[in-house]
Amino acid sequence: MNVEITDLTRRFGRNQAVAGVSLQAGPGVFGLLGPNGAGKTTLLRMMATVIPPTTGRLRLLDRDPATYGPRREVRRRLGYLPQNLGYYPGFTVAEFVEYFALLKEMPAARVPAAVATAVERVDLGGKAKAKLRTLSGGMLRRVGIAQAIVNEPELLLLDEPTAGLDPEQRVHFRALLRELGQRATVVVSTHLVEDVGAACTQVALMDQGKVVFDGTPGELTARGTEQGTGDAPLERGYTAVLAAARA
Amino acid sequence: MSGLRNDAPDDVDLGRVWTSVAAQVWRRQPGWLERTAGRLLRSPGLARALLTTPSLLLPWLLTSVVVLAAGAAATTDSGQPLVALLAPAVAAAAIAYSYGPGIDPAWELACSMAVSDRMVLLVRALAVFAVNAVLGLAASAVSAVSVSGPANGTAAAVTFGWLIPMTAVCAFALAVATVARSANAGAAAGVAAWLIIVLSGRVASGHFASAVTDTVLFLPYLAIGAGCVTVALYATRIPRGTL
Repeated sequence: MNVEITDLTRRFGRNQAVAGVSLQAGPGVFGLLGPNGAGKTTLLRMMATVIPPTTGRLRLLDRDPATYGPRREVRRRLGYLPQNLGYYPGFTVAEFVEYFALLKEMPAARVPAAVATAVERVDLGGKAKAKLRTLSGGMLRRVGIAQAIVNEPELLLLDEPTAGLDPEQRVHFRALLRELGQRATVVVSTHLVEDVGAACTQVALMDQGKVVFDGTPGELTARGTEQGTGDAPLERGYTAVLAAARA
Repeated sequence: MSGLRNDAPDDVDLGRVWTSVAAQVWRRQPGWLERTAGRLLRSPGLARALLTTPSLLLPWLLTSVVVLAAGAAATTDSGQPLVALLAPAVAAAAIAYSYGPGIDPAWELACSMAVSDRMVLLVRALAVFAVNAVLGLAASAVSAVSVSGPANGTAAAVTFGWLIPMTAVCAFALAVATVARSANAGAAAGVAAWLIIVLSGRVASGHFASAVTDTVLFLPYLAIGAGCVTVALYATRIPRGTL
C-alpha cells in the first residue's frame, strides 16, 4: 500500500480538522469527496508532509515521514497540487516547472526532458515560454498540475485540480488521471462528484473531520437508490451518505 | 504536424522526437555562478533558489529594508549589548517571514519539496546579505569619491560593520549546514558564531558593540567567509576520474 493512515488526527487550536481518519490506498485514482470544511485539505496537507499530524500513524510509500531521511525520500517521489497554487509571476511556465523539479532533487540532466514532457501533458506546449502573470486561471491550474507530475510521482496529491478548467480541459484531465493511476497512487480531493465517477477507482467521503464512506464509486451510487437527492446517481449516493452520517 | 505524422514511418516515435526538441528549446542554461553554487551546495535546486532570491521582488525589498535598518542600529556605537545581539535575530526573522509563509506565494509547495525549506531559507539569508554587501561596497566607493562628511562614513560603517560580518556568519552557517546536511545544525552554528564574536568583543574592548564597530575585525570576517567557501569547496569536491 502506498498510503496507510491509522487514526490520524489534526488539531488547529480548538478546531479538530481531522478526527481519527483511517484509510489505505494502493495504485489507482482515489477520490476524496466532502463538503467545505470536511477536513479534505488538511488530510491532503498531512499526506503531502506540509504539516505533521497531531496524533495517529501515517505511512507513505512504505516510509514513516515523521523522520527526516524517510520524509526526504517520500518528497522525492511525491507530487502535490495545493488548493491555492502560489506562483512567481515573473517565472515562465518552463522555469516554474523546472524550479520545482530541481527542488524535488531530480537529477539535473533529466530535468529538461521531464519539464518538456510535463508541460506537454497538460497541453501548455504553446505557452512554455509565457510568463505566469499572463496566464488565465485554468492555465495556471494546469501549470500546477505540470509541476506536480514532473517527477513522475509514485504518490500524487491533487487538491481541487479541476477548479477553473473548462469542460474540454476537464475531460482531458480525467484521461490524464486515469493514465497516471495505472502505476501511481493518485489522491484527488474535489467537490465535483462527476470527476470521481469518471476517473476514480476508489472513493472516500469525509464529513466533520471523519471518513463516513470508503468504497468504490459504484458502492457510493448504490447508497443513493432510496433516499438521496441530486441529479446524478452518484450525487444521490453522496447526499444519502452525508444525511445518514448527520442523522 | 498531422501531415508529418502521416509521412513518418511507423517505427519513428514523433512524440519522443518532439519532447527532445522541446526540452532543448525550452531549457534554461544555468550561468557559471549557478553551476558553481550548485556544486558548492551539492544541490542544483538550492543554487536555483539562491539565484532567484533577488528576483522575488517584494520579499527582497522588505528584507533589504529590515536588514539595513537593523544594520544601522547595530553600527550605532550605543554600547547597548541587546542591539548587537538582537540585530541579527531581527534580520533573520525578517528574511524567514518574507521568504517564508508570510509573503512567499509558493511556500506551501516549497514545504513539500525534498530540498528542505530551512535550507532554502538559509541560502536566501546569505543571498540577502551578500548582495546588499556588494551594493554597500559600491555605495561606499561612490560616497567616498563624491561625498564628504558623515554621509560618507555611514555607508562604509553599515557595509563593513554589519553587511560583511553577517555575510560571513551566514556563509559559515551554510557551510556547516552543507557539510552536516542539516539546516538546523547550520543555523545553530551561525548563532553560536555570532554570540562568540560579540562576547569576545566585550571581553577584549569592554563593550558589546565592538563586534560591529571595531575595524580590526573586518579582515577576520572576510577571512571567515573565505574559509567557509574553501571548506565547502573541499567538502563538495568531485574526486578526479569520476567525471
